[in-house]
Amino acid sequence: MALNLLLVDDEEGIRRFLGMLLKDLGYAVRVASDGAGALEAIDSAQPDLVLTDIKMPRMDGIELLKRIKSRWPEIEVIMISGHGDLDLVIQCLQHQATDFVTKPVNEDILDAALRRVAEKIELRRKLSEYTQNLERLIKEKSDRVVELERQMAASQVVDALCQALQNLSDEMREEAGYNADMPCYIAVHNRLFEVVSTNRLYRERLGDKRGRCSWEAYADPARRGFDNPVCLTFKSGKARRSREMLLALTGEQLPAVVYTTPIGCKEDRVELVLEMAVDVSEISRLQEELWLTQQKYQDLFDETPCYIVVRDKDYLIKANNRLFTRDFGDGVGRNCYSAFRHRTEPCPECPVSRTFEDGEPHHKESVVSTRDGREMNILTWSTPIHNTEGEIVEVMELSTDITEIRKLQDHLTSLGLMLGSMSHGVKGMLTALEGGVYRLESGLAKNDMTRVGGATESIKVLVNRIRNLVLNVLYYAKSREPEREELDVAEFGRMVAGIVEPRAQREKIVFSAAIGEGLGRFAVDSGNLSAALVNIMENAIDACTADSGKDSHTVALRVDGDEREVRFEITDNGLGMDRETKEKAFTLFFSSKGLKGTGLGLFIASDVITKHGGAIRLESERGQGTSFSIRLPRNLSAAGAEAGTAN
Amino acid sequence: MAKTILIIDDDAAIRQFLDMLLRDNGYETLQAGDGAQALAVLETRTPDLITLDIEMPEVTGPKLNRLLTKQGKGAIPIVVITGHTGLKYVIPKAVASLTKPFDRNELLSIVRETIGT
Repeated sequence: MALNLLLVDDEEGIRRFLGMLLKDLGYAVRVASDGAGALEAIDSAQPDLVLTDIKMPRMDGIELLKRIKSRWPEIEVIMISGHGDLDLVIQCLQHQATDFVTKPVNEDILDAALRRVAEKIELRRKLSEYTQNLERLIKEKSDRVVELERQMAASQVVDALCQALQNLSDEMREEAGYNADMPCYIAVHNRLFEVVSTNRLYRERLGDKRGRCSWEAYADPARRGFDNPVCLTFKSGKARRSREMLLALTGEQLPAVVYTTPIGCKEDRVELVLEMAVDVSEISRLQEELWLTQQKYQDLFDETPCYIVVRDKDYLIKANNRLFTRDFGDGVGRNCYSAFRHRTEPCPECPVSRTFEDGEPHHKESVVSTRDGREMNILTWSTPIHNTEGEIVEVMELSTDITEIRKLQDHLTSLGLMLGSMSHGVKGMLTALEGGVYRLESGLAKNDMTRVGGATESIKVLVNRIRNLVLNVLYYAKSREPEREELDVAEFGRMVAGIVEPRAQREKIVFSAAIGEGLGRFAVDSGNLSAALVNIMENAIDACTADSGKDSHTVALRVDGDEREVRFEITDNGLGMDRETKEKAFTLFFSSKGLKGTGLGLFIASDVITKHGGAIRLESERGQGTSFSIRLPRNLSAAGAEAGTAN
Repeated sequence: MAKTILIIDDDAAIRQFLDMLLRDNGYETLQAGDGAQALAVLETRTPDLITLDIEMPEVTGPKLNRLLTKQGKGAIPIVVITGHTGLKYVIPKAVASLTKPFDRNELLSIVRETIGT
């Protein structure tokens, strides 16, 4: 290749002569007559080599050399001088001139100098070429390395992820006793649709697919091509979720939900795809297990023979079990105090509220009424329900019906009380009986027949008292159902009045019985009911004899009725009762009569009336007297009812 | 002059018995069916001895005893006759406490020892 050469000299002859010579030597030559022209020429087309005279007007050769080297260091400059001045030569070489040629120019020397320059230039070009090649090569190679490293890094990340998931599943297996691995198959695919990495479960169940085609794990033949989640994610760059069938090593097909996510996107190109397949057969098994567990809890919740209520802080029922619904109605959305106790405000000493306060279980015994009006003793336990943060959000209330236990306890307590009360009563009666015996003995000794007669009377009264006590005790001990027979109401009323009247007369009490005609019939246990009515009337007499505040006393029995029921009203103007006595009047073993009362009478009377389906009510005013009103349904069979109205 | 004994008991049959027993043995008797009646009697009469039932409606034995003391009649000896056992010291100053049914000879000898015949 011919070198481009610029010849700079101020002498026209030399430019021509040297120009011809250089052209003959095979160089492409341009010329410039001074320094400024030379720089212009270099600027427009860079020569490989500049030949310049040193001695020139305005800008000499040395100055031109300096400027060329400062702007274009790669351009070779050969200096030409008429003087062989050593200082000048050194100066030129210091300023990086390539060679130095003296005038008159020797053709051979110039040729040799030019050849050396040409060689140097050629060498330098080759070197430059090598360098450039090397750089390109290095860039290519390092690009490849970076790519590989990135894939490797991604792969490592996935491996670590798989390992972490594996550890997690191992841990869960150890700690939670799960017998299955975490049912997740994880694989990473590169954009050549090859499996790069997989987790252990993948390898165990689906086989070691590393280096194999991305679609090999899919069972559906349609998926075993480019139409599968992995390839589609590479194509779209978007994450996907779909249900697929995977092919297990055993040949079995596993239903799975497959998630594919692009990772390592570079310049809109997906580098890798992460594929996570969740084994749905495992999930459905777990779901079934969960469902069964929930069902078990629900059954437990519903079938436990207790009332279970879940309540929030605002007294609102969030859930209740079946038994609660049966006896108290569906409580959800209602206030607990309203559902349980028909109250309009929270109950005092609520164990649930206490549990909300201190997080401890509490219990309380109380009386509630069911939706059909039945009274029930319940024992309630409260237990806190925490959320995941450990705060108490709701409280569970477990209530057991202890009515029967309470009844039994009452019965046992009653038996104890009865023994005490009875022995007390019997002592009084024995003392009085002894009095009677003394009267009899002393009367006989004195031959005083009046005294003997009085003794006999008082002994009769006492025997009657003892008989009543024994009957009451027997009634209480047996507590039988009424044995009904149909009776004429008026006749029954007169019979009862007849029992009481003599005693009233003895006590100087005016006794009146207003028994209407045409009262019809009713079906009652005559023995029990007459005993009950006599008891109430004897109480009325006792209330009169004990009252010293009035001149005369009356006890009145009134019987009337309508088609459905019969009413008895017993009124006295005796002592009357204070409020406490009134409230306790029907309570077992409550007696206002000291030694004379066993506390059984009114309790049994009210029990008898209740068992007949009737009701007993009492009104009393201290010092004014007492009034009992008893209502009894006729309880007649159809035929008897007709007879009742006919009468 | 015969000594007077106030019988306080809410059971008329027992009152009658005590009345007859004591009269037969030469004592005068007064009767009260409850605490209020007893206080009314004590307004006008001062008996030599009182037989007292503990359990009565309204004014119980111990309450009556406190009222007596207030009226300056606390010195009257009291014999408690009760159906309860173990109530001897309900009225600490009682000269004796008999449990129903009591032995009539025991009562008579207590009365004799306390106020003579």
